[in-house]
Amino acid sequence: MSRNLLFVLAFIAALAIAAPALAHHGGAAFDQTKQQTLQGTVTQLDFVNPHVVVWFDVKNADGTSTKWSGWLTAPNKLQRAGWTKNTLKPGDTLTVVGNQQKNGSPVLQIRKIAGPEGDLPTFEQ
Amino acid sequence: MRTRIISSMLAAAFALAATATLFSQAAPAGQGARGGARGGAAAAAAPSAPAPAKDLTGVWMMRNPPGKNGPWTNFTYTDPMKNPPSLTAWGEAEFKKAKDSNGGNYTLDETNDPVLTKCYPPGVPRVYFHPYPFEVIQTPKQTLLVYEYDHWMRRVHTDGRALPTDPDPLWMGTSVGRWVDDHTFEVQTVGFNEKTWLDRLGHAHTPDLKVTERFRRIDRDHLEVDIKMDDPKALAKPWETTFYYENRPNWELGEISCSGDYLDWTQVEKGGRDYKR
Repeated sequence: MSRNLLFVLAFIAALAIAAPALAHHGGAAFDQTKQQTLQGTVTQLDFVNPHVVVWFDVKNADGTSTKWSGWLTAPNKLQRAGWTKNTLKPGDTLTVVGNQQKNGSPVLQIRKIAGPEGDLPTFEQ
Repeated sequence: MRTRIISSMLAAAFALAATATLFSQAAPAGQGARGGARGGAAAAAAPSAPAPAKDLTGVWMMRNPPGKNGPWTNFTYTDPMKNPPSLTAWGEAEFKKAKDSNGGNYTLDETNDPVLTKCYPPGVPRVYFHPYPFEVIQTPKQTLLVYEYDHWMRRVHTDGRALPTDPDPLWMGTSVGRWVDDHTFEVQTVGFNEKTWLDRLGHAHTPDLKVTERFRRIDRDHLEVDIKMDDPKALAKPWETTFYYENRPNWELGEISCSGDYLDWTQVEKGGRDYKR
C-alpha cells in the first residue's frame, strides 16, 4: 500500500515539476538521466540573455570548495515570474536541483531553486 | 493491484487538473495556475468574455490546452514520431544535413542551427518556437506583429495591396493581411531567403515558401493560430498545424538580443570556465 502511495506521489511530482522547454537550446550537453541536489553560497548572479546564471560555491567533504554555475531560463521570463537582478545576492544560501554537464564540469541545468527565503520560480506562467 | 495504481494515478491527475482549472478561473489571465500547458498538468482553456470584433491587440503567450499538441510544439509543428512532414527528395536531403540543438540531439558546440550559431533571424513561422510572447499592434493600414525574441517585427499590410508576385528575398518575408470575419485575421507571407530553417529541427525551405496564418480569436483570452506552409520544392504536401495562445494583459515585452552573451553561451555549456563578461 505504501509502495502504491509512493508511486502515486512520484507521479504527481513528475506532473508538477515537468520543466518547460529550454528557451535557447536543447539539453544535449547535460545528463538528462539524473538530477542532483546541491547546497552552497551565492557568489554572483548574472541576469543576462540567453539564460540567467547563478554562480555559487559548494563545500566539499575535504574542506575545499568548488565553484559551480547553474543556469536558468531567460531573464525576461524570470522577471515576469517576479525575479530581479537582486533576487540572489553574494552570500545568500542556495539549494538547487538540476542536471550536471555530461563532461563532469561543475555546471548545472537548474530545475528547482531555493534561496534564503524559500523556493523561487523557474519560469513565468 | 495494477488497476488500483492506475486508478489512483488517474484520480491524482484529475485532482490536479481540476485544481488548476479552479485556479485559472479565479485568477485573471496571466496569473493562472502554475504548471503551464507544457508541463502536462495545465488548466483547461476556460472560456472568457467574448472576443472583441476585429481586434487582436495585446500580448499573447503560447499555452497548449490539455490534449492539444505536445512538447514537440517547442521545436516542430507536428508530432515528429506520429505525423512528420511530407518532404520532397530535396527536402529529405537537406533535413539530413541539419544538426539540431533544440530537439535535444546536438550540443551548441556541434549544432549547425543558423539561429544558434550565427544569430540569423529565425524566419517565419519558426519565430513562433522561441518561447517568448508576441504582441499585436493594429493601425489603420498595418498590423504589427512584435516578437519579444530579438525584437523581431513583422509588418502586415492591411491597406488592400496584393501579395507581390516577384518579391525580393527577406528574412521574415513580405506580408499582407485581411479580416475574414470579425474574429479571423488571415496573413499571407511570401518572399523569403533560403537561409532559415522552417522549424528548430532543421527542415529546409526554398525562396518559394508561402506561409498562411489564420489568427482566430476564440474569446477575449484565447487565440488560435492555424499555420500552413506551402513550398512544393521542399514539402511534398503543405505542412499544417495549429498553435494555441493565451492573452497576457499584465505583461510587457522585454528585451532579448541575439548577440554577445547569446553566442558566447557555447562556453557556458561546455564548462563555464571560459565564460567572460
